Amino acid sequence: MPDRTANCPNCGAPLRFRWSGAVQTTCEYCHSILVRHDLDFRKVGVVAELPLEGSPLQLGSEGVFDNKPFIAVGRIIYEYDQGVWNEWHLLFSDGTSGWLADAQLEYAVSFLTQRSHPLPAPQHLHRGQQFQWDGAVYEVTTITEANYRGVEGELPFEYWDKQRVRFADLRTADARFATLDYSEDPPLLFMGRVVEFDGLRLNNLRHFEGWD
Amino acid sequence: MPQVRALFCPNCGGTIQLRGYAQTVNAVCEHCLSVLDTKAESLRVIQQIQERTRIEPAIPLGSRGTFEGTRYEAIGFQQRSIDVDDETYSWREYLLFNPYKGYRYLTEYDGHWNYVRTLPALPVRSKYLTRPALVYEGRRFVHFQHAAARTTYVLGEFPWQVRTGETVGTDDFISPPYLLSAESTEHEVVYSLGTYTEPAAVWQAFGLQGAPPWRRGVFANQPSPYSRPASMWRRFASLTALLLVVLISVAIITPHERVLEQVYRYASHTPAAAPFVTPTFELRGRPSSVVVRVDTDIDNDAASFALALINDETGQVWDFGADLGYWHGRDEDGNWSEGRRNAAATVPDVPAGRYYLRVEPSIDEAAPISGVASDPNRERGFKYTLSVTRGWFGWWPFLVAFPLLLIPPIAATARYYSFEGKRWSESDYSTYLSS
Amino acid sequence: MRHPLFTLYGLIVMAAAGWTSWRGLTFSRVDQTTVAPKSIRDNPGAYRPIYIPHRRYFGGK
Repeated sequence: MPDRTANCPNCGAPLRFRWSGAVQTTCEYCHSILVRHDLDFRKVGVVAELPLEGSPLQLGSEGVFDNKPFIAVGRIIYEYDQGVWNEWHLLFSDGTSGWLADAQLEYAVSFLTQRSHPLPAPQHLHRGQQFQWDGAVYEVTTITEANYRGVEGELPFEYWDKQRVRFADLRTADARFATLDYSEDPPLLFMGRVVEFDGLRLNNLRHFEGWD
Repeated sequence: MPQVRALFCPNCGGTIQLRGYAQTVNAVCEHCLSVLDTKAESLRVIQQIQERTRIEPAIPLGSRGTFEGTRYEAIGFQQRSIDVDDETYSWREYLLFNPYKGYRYLTEYDGHWNYVRTLPALPVRSKYLTRPALVYEGRRFVHFQHAAARTTYVLGEFPWQVRTGETVGTDDFISPPYLLSAESTEHEVVYSLGTYTEPAAVWQAFGLQGAPPWRRGVFANQPSPYSRPASMWRRFASLTALLLVVLISVAIITPHERVLEQVYRYASHTPAAAPFVTPTFELRGRPSSVVVRVDTDIDNDAASFALALINDETGQVWDFGADLGYWHGRDEDGNWSEGRRNAAATVPDVPAGRYYLRVEPSIDEAAPISGVASDPNRERGFKYTLSVTRGWFGWWPFLVAFPLLLIPPIAATARYYSFEGKRWSESDYSTYLSS
Repeated sequence: MRHPLFTLYGLIVMAAAGWTSWRGLTFSRVDQTTVAPKSIRDNPGAYRPIYIPHRRYFGGK
C-alpha cells in the first residue's frame, strides 16, 4: 500500500504512514503524539522518553503469523511491578490489525474480539477462574495492575496518559491465549495464541551488542 | 543499539555490568552482594548484604553455551532452599538469556541437572490412582513434592524481582525424564518443564573445565537406566514355555519302558542276604537314562543296596546304590515318622544293549533300633521290589533350569524397584507408585 | 530384540536342559568300571562294589 505523507503540525517534519487506518501516531523528530481528525493531525501530547527496554522488535520489524505477513507499525509500553512489557501493533498484509505481546521475551499474537457473552468485572476476577470460549477452557493465569509508560508509531485508537489498568491473561491447554483489558468498560477482549520467536520469522530486528 | 550497561553500585561504588540489557529488573552487585533495582536510570538498593558466605556458581556468570541450537548466556544465579523435617535442602538455578529467544534455566541439585523452560500452554489437571497428576502434551506427570521455596542467595541479573528470603509455593510433577513444576503466588501461576540433562552435556555446552560433580541419590525425574521389569518377565514366560516344549518333546519321543520288575525278600543271616544277579533285560534306543527303583516295607530299620548295572556284551559296569531308613513311633507330641522306605537311582547315558543288575542288599549292623534292645543275632528282614525303567529322566532338568531362568528377571526387578524406591524416597510420598 | 543377553542365557539353559534330558544325564553318583560279565553272573559275590553302603541313615530318634 502506498505510504501517505503529511507534515507534523508541531515541528513541520514529514510524517510517514504505513497504514491508512492509523488513528494516532507519533512524530519521530519532536516526539509529539498526534491524533487524526479527518485529514489532519492534531498534537495532543508529547511522548515521555521511552524507557530502556530490551524487546528485539522495533518499528518496521516484519514477520509472519498464520501465513500472513505483518509489519510492526506501533507500540504501547506498559509498566508493572515486575518491569515493562510491549504491545506491538501489527499491520497485516490484508489491512487487518493485530497485537504482539512481548513480555520478558515471551510472545503472543492476539486480535480484538467481540463476544456476545458478558465478561466478568475486574473485582470478580481471580487466578484459576475458567471460561469456556470457542470450545476450549481458558484459565486465568495472571492478573496484573499496570500503567501506561509510552507509545510509539501508529495505533488504531487513541491511547496516551491512561491511568492504572487491570489486565488478566488467560491460557488454554492448547497454547491459545487471551487478554482482558480493563481500560474500558465493558473490558476489551483480545484472543490469539502463544508463539515462539522462531515461528514468527521476524526480520529487521534490533541488534544487540555482543550477539551478532 | 542496546548495549551492555556499565553502572555504579549505589552502595559500594563498584562497577556493575548488566548483560541482560534493559530486560533486567533486579541485579546483584558482585562486590557487596546488595540487590539493586535497575528499572530506573539510576540504581536503587533494595536489599542490603545477603548471607555472608559467597557461593561460587558452577557456571560462571557471563559464560555462553548452546542448548537446542540456541546460544544462551548465564546472567543470573540463585540458590533456593526448602525445609523438610528440620533439614534444609538447597538447589541452585542458573538463568540463561538470549535477547531474541528469551530465558531458560538450568537447575542443579546434588549434582543432578535439569534444563527448564516455561510452558506456553496449560497442563490439564488429572489423577493417577490416589495422587494428583497433570497431563501435558499427552504425558501424565504424577505429583512428587509440594514445597515452599525460599531464595537464600542471589547473584547476577533477573528480569523480575528477586531478593533473599522471599518464598513461593512450588509443586513438582514427574514423568521421567521430564519434570513439570508449578510455581504460584496469589496473582500468578507459572508452569515450567524441566528435562533431565547429563552433567557432562552441561559441561560440554559451556566449555567448563574439570569434571562435573558426582551425583548423589536418584533425582525426581532422572530416567531409570533399567528397563521396566514387565518386558523381562514376558521374555521369561516365553523362555519357560519353550523350555517346557523342549522337555516335553524329548519325553514324548523317548520310549519309556519298564524292563524289569521283581519282588524279593531280604532276611539277615540267611542266603537271601547274599549278593545276586537279576535276569537279563534289553535296553533299547539311543543312550538315555535307566532308573532303578527299590520299594521296600522296612520298619524301624535301615537298609542299603549296592547296585551295579552290567552290560552283558561289553562288560561295562555302572556302580551305584541306594540307602533307605524308616522309623516311626509315638511320643508326647504324637505320632512321628522319619526317613524313607523307597529309593530310586538314575543311571545316565546308558547305551542300548543287553543288561542285568547285580544287587547286594544289606542292613546296617550298627544302626540302633528305637525301643528294641540291640541284638546282633536277631533276624531282620523286609520285602522289596526292584524295578528298572528305561528312558524316564525325571523332573530334575526342569527343576534346575526353571530357577536358573528366574534369576535374571528377579535381579532385574530388584534393581528396577530399588532405583525407583530411591527416587521416591525424596518425595512427599512414602510408598512407590509405578508411573 | 530386547534383552538379548537374557535371551541368550535362557536359550543356553534350555539347550543344556534339553541335552541332559535327551541323554538322561543326572547328578547322581555313578562310578564306572569294566568286568567280565559272565564271571559275575556265575558268581555274584566275586565282585567288590565301589558303592559304600549305609552312608545316609544311621538311626531314628
